[in-house]
Amino acid sequence: MSLLQDAKNWVRSRSIHVAYVDVGSCNGCDIEILACLAPRYDIEQYGIYVHNNPREADILLVVGAMTPPWVERLPALWAKIPAPKAAIAIGNCPVSGCVYNRRETYILGPVAKYIPIAAEVPGCPPRPTEILSAVLAVAPTVFRDYEVNRS
Amino acid sequence: MKRVVDVSIPLGPVHPCWKEPARVKCETRGEKVLSAEVELGYMKKGIERIMRGRPWQEVMFLAERVCGICSVIHNMVFIEGMEAVSGITVPDRAAYLRVVMNELDRIQSHLLANFSYCYTIEHETLAMYLLNTRERAMDCMERIAGVRVNKAYMIPGGVRFDLRDTDRALLLADLAHLEDSVHRYGRMFDTGPLIATRSKGVGILMQEQARIARAVGPTARASGIAEDVRLTHPTYRKLAFTPIVRTEGDNHARIMLRFDEIFQSLGLIRQCLHDLPAGPIRGGGTCGAGETVSRGEAPRGELSYFIRSDEYGRILDIAIRTPSIPNIDACTHHMLPGVTSLADVTSVFVSADPCIACNER
Repeated sequence: MSLLQDAKNWVRSRSIHVAYVDVGSCNGCDIEILACLAPRYDIEQYGIYVHNNPREADILLVVGAMTPPWVERLPALWAKIPAPKAAIAIGNCPVSGCVYNRRETYILGPVAKYIPIAAEVPGCPPRPTEILSAVLAVAPTVFRDYEVNRS
Repeated sequence: MKRVVDVSIPLGPVHPCWKEPARVKCETRGEKVLSAEVELGYMKKGIERIMRGRPWQEVMFLAERVCGICSVIHNMVFIEGMEAVSGITVPDRAAYLRVVMNELDRIQSHLLANFSYCYTIEHETLAMYLLNTRERAMDCMERIAGVRVNKAYMIPGGVRFDLRDTDRALLLADLAHLEDSVHRYGRMFDTGPLIATRSKGVGILMQEQARIARAVGPTARASGIAEDVRLTHPTYRKLAFTPIVRTEGDNHARIMLRFDEIFQSLGLIRQCLHDLPAGPIRGGGTCGAGETVSRGEAPRGELSYFIRSDEYGRILDIAIRTPSIPNIDACTHHMLPGVTSLADVTSVFVSADPCIACNER
């Protein structure tokens, strides 16, 4: 364990940048992610910053049931995020398609077919606290000792 | 006609300011926007196709999930349509409770719209105040219906949960808190000098243009058109509802109109709680065959459902018209051309409160 790795671990534990992408949701989960920003939940006290910019993100929150236009765009978006990175599926839609996964639908889920999903938060929609705890649970497992684990 | 265009700038579909994927393509000369075009299709799930041939019990939950922000009004309009088709009457207490829930939903939706606008013009302080205030409105709904977003509160013949006396007292306390906060933040927005420079005179929608684009809801009412479907709703008529109208038609007017409508909604809820009759909350009945158009005023404007059902209450045909469709048209074709700075494009688009999920379904 090098000193550099320790420094990286320390920095990454308090600086998690989040982007979210809506691949065809009903807005319910979207707005619950936004509600995490509210001072009541105060996502920034944990060092999580919602910038919604893939190029400076560490964690991608995927919301929605995977509509056809996103089939080529979501992997492209995922490729733009610098490593180390993790994707979290928020809500039932990216996991199973929820109510939209019926006959005659347009959706092409689940999202895990297109990008690797590190964690899933089921719920229609999940509460802001659940989203918050999922991000906090995933971040250390992916980012701690990333360089050591990779080699 | 040939036009000199410097750059054609696409915004989106993934954009830091936008909550939902949409792409706005702006043709610009210098910083001035000459014309704009919106490109949609990122959220199309085919909800109406899924709905056809399904029993109303399933369609009810699908209707709610057309939009997660204004789920109550989708539920209400669909259920009122099914009631009209089947001749089901609603007990008075349930009719009032429906208005309470609908207005609470309108409050949270308007607070969210104003939060988005403040966030877009980078007034993060006010935005966070408004988002925190919205949590109070969410609490009120959660206390009545048990969940925060997709509540399925209304069912044919009534509502699912009664308002208990303890909840009523807590609701009144929360309404007082909401009124204080919204009054304070509305005044902050109204008198802020920097907010005024970003909002006043930006994204003007003239009354004539609003009529051409058939704008609805707060977007139309901020341009001087006194249209509101609540005027024709029987329960709202009992409450002597009159719409609020402003005439400026700019970003500032749209946001201030939403603040004013929050006060109006608070007043309607208080009036409902005052007049709330005792009695049952569920009348019962059987959903049957028929064809109707059901309308309601969503937070963003007029929402209508065309419903045709068979004698078992299955939905044979359904068509939904959501308020964001004409509002996005009004925004791209009438508000955005002539905007003097590209930074204002996002704020003008957000001020019309477009809901892409509603729009594409």
